[in-house]
Amino acid sequence: MLRCCNHDLMHRLNSHTQPPRNTSLLALIALFISIVMNCGLTPAFAQNDLSVGRKMLLEDNPGELWIDDGKALFFQVRGPKQASLERCDFGLGPGKLEGAAARLPRYFADTKRVEDLESRLLTCMTQLQGFERSALERNAISEPASRGSEIEALALYITSRSNGHPIQVSLDHPQEKAMYKAGEYLFFRRSGTNDFGCVQCHGEPDKRIRLQDLAPLTTHRGAQEVAASWPAYRGAHYVVRTLQWRLNDCVWQMRLPDLKYATDYSIALTTYLNRTGNGAPVQVPGFKR
Amino acid sequence: MHTPQPNYPLNPPLKHQNHQLRLALFGLSLCLLLSACGYPDANTTRELAERMVLEAFSGSPTHLKRIEQDPSQQLCSRINNAPISAADASTVLETARASIQYPASGVLMGDWKIGDTLAHDGAGDRIRNGKTEATTRNGGLCQNCHGLAPGEINVGNLGPSLTGYGKLRGTDPAIVKYTYDKIYNAWSVMPCSNMPRLGATGHLTPTQISHLVAYLLDQKSPINQ
Ligand code: HEC
Ligand code: HEC
Repeated sequence: MLRCCNHDLMHRLNSHTQPPRNTSLLALIALFISIVMNCGLTPAFAQNDLSVGRKMLLEDNPGELWIDDGKALFFQVRGPKQASLERCDFGLGPGKLEGAAARLPRYFADTKRVEDLESRLLTCMTQLQGFERSALERNAISEPASRGSEIEALALYITSRSNGHPIQVSLDHPQEKAMYKAGEYLFFRRSGTNDFGCVQCHGEPDKRIRLQDLAPLTTHRGAQEVAASWPAYRGAHYVVRTLQWRLNDCVWQMRLPDLKYATDYSIALTTYLNRTGNGAPVQVPGFKR
Repeated sequence: MHTPQPNYPLNPPLKHQNHQLRLALFGLSLCLLLSACGYPDANTTRELAERMVLEAFSGSPTHLKRIEQDPSQQLCSRINNAPISAADASTVLETARASIQYPASGVLMGDWKIGDTLAHDGAGDRIRNGKTEATTRNGGLCQNCHGLAPGEINVGNLGPSLTGYGKLRGTDPAIVKYTYDKIYNAWSVMPCSNMPRLGATGHLTPTQISHLVAYLLDQKSPINQ
């Protein structure tokens, strides 16, 4: 009754036309696992009698399969400028990934901007590799049950190199502080035909929309749990999703217009979320229902 | 080609330039140079964040209209839910009362069966890839937030349970009007509450709301069994 097999998704998987990378077989396996799980066992993963927990509990997270993909993409010489991403500086120096994602978003002197993981990836893929920004943006969020996008795989690989590192978003630079304050403002900003701001759904613990648990995001503990877990494997979509995807989906529920990819709006909200979640050890891929 | 947007506060904005903003930014740079101000103050934060909103969304002018706040939404957006002043609260309340429109028929209590369907319909009005969701009309969304008929499990808890709502209250004209007003504009009863102003924002029509009133109040409605 809660949810069952989605044949539409299977159909889309089969009709997918892009050339497969090695994830497609693995995605199929993951898809199979998820279908079995969704059809038979959903209640076992719920947090209490009523709720459909946000997190799934499974020892083997299919999202792991995307890490190797992301790693290969990171080191591969690609793009019009024929470069790998090894010279990309995520804040700790070119190619230094250990713990770097745990400190994002942060101010970058080369662009004079505060960037989060996804906007920094765009910077490096355009500047170092010569990819066209609009194409990257267009493909950043993949179709459900697809092989996933390059950015999704890269974002996961890069974040996974921070696994175990506590989130440490600094607000020392004035622009970082400004981003954080803007994110806080936006979190409480109500608009649209449903009068929603983020706080209407994420302001209190133990709240649900229908049976879906809503993460409380204004408290340290609530934000910690969430900030440390993205990118995450999304069971209902059979792909790895980034935080930008999650924001898109919430904005859609809020009845707002289409959110563009990786603008300051998203960077500000991410700065607010991650800063509030400081101290939580990164553990990706997360695993969401 | 995409031109990278400037970051704040040091670079001037590309779009939506106006005099005030430029002055503000100039003042800001002075502040930064002198490092003497409690940067960013509330006004600066609002200006920066509002500009982010303008740059973040795409779509038709009708769609983009949704990111603009009306005066009540502005008053009801309070960082960390800071308490609202009594004067502002009564402005919101009065504005909400004045917004309420009734069905041309004058009938506030419609058909509970239609209301039942509406109350359980969470669709409508959402925008993806520049298109508004294709439905004949928007759902009521009540199930997302409220307990409804007894024994229904798939219900949210952002609002109080409405199970037995009409059984407790009867169908006196006063309660019918109260219920209609509440659904049409929740802020006419409780300013700035988390419940959307479903009629006032145009999400639901007056006739739809009359059906929802019947769903809540009609003694035959499943919610009152
Ligand atoms: C109308 C309700 C609603 C609003 C408003 C809303 N969200 Fe959400 N949010 C949800 C739901 C539903 C989920 C998914 C829960 C699940 O996975 O079952 C979610 C999930 C999330 C998550 C992931 C939580 C996790 O488990 O990791 C984040 C982060 C988030 N939202 C941020 C935001 C932000 C930022 C805003 C405002 C821009 C926002 N949301 C507005 C309903 C909402
Ligand atoms: C996004 C959440 C949300 C949605 C959607 C929503 N409500 Fe509410 N509702 C609330 C909250 C929160 C309250 C309590 C605060 C208040 O009274 O405004 C409430 C209060 C109410 C009350 C007052 C209860 C009382 O005892 O006086 C009624 C009646 C009501 N809602 C009916 C509805 C109906 C009918 C719908 C659908 C057409 C609906 N609501 C949709 C959140 C919601």
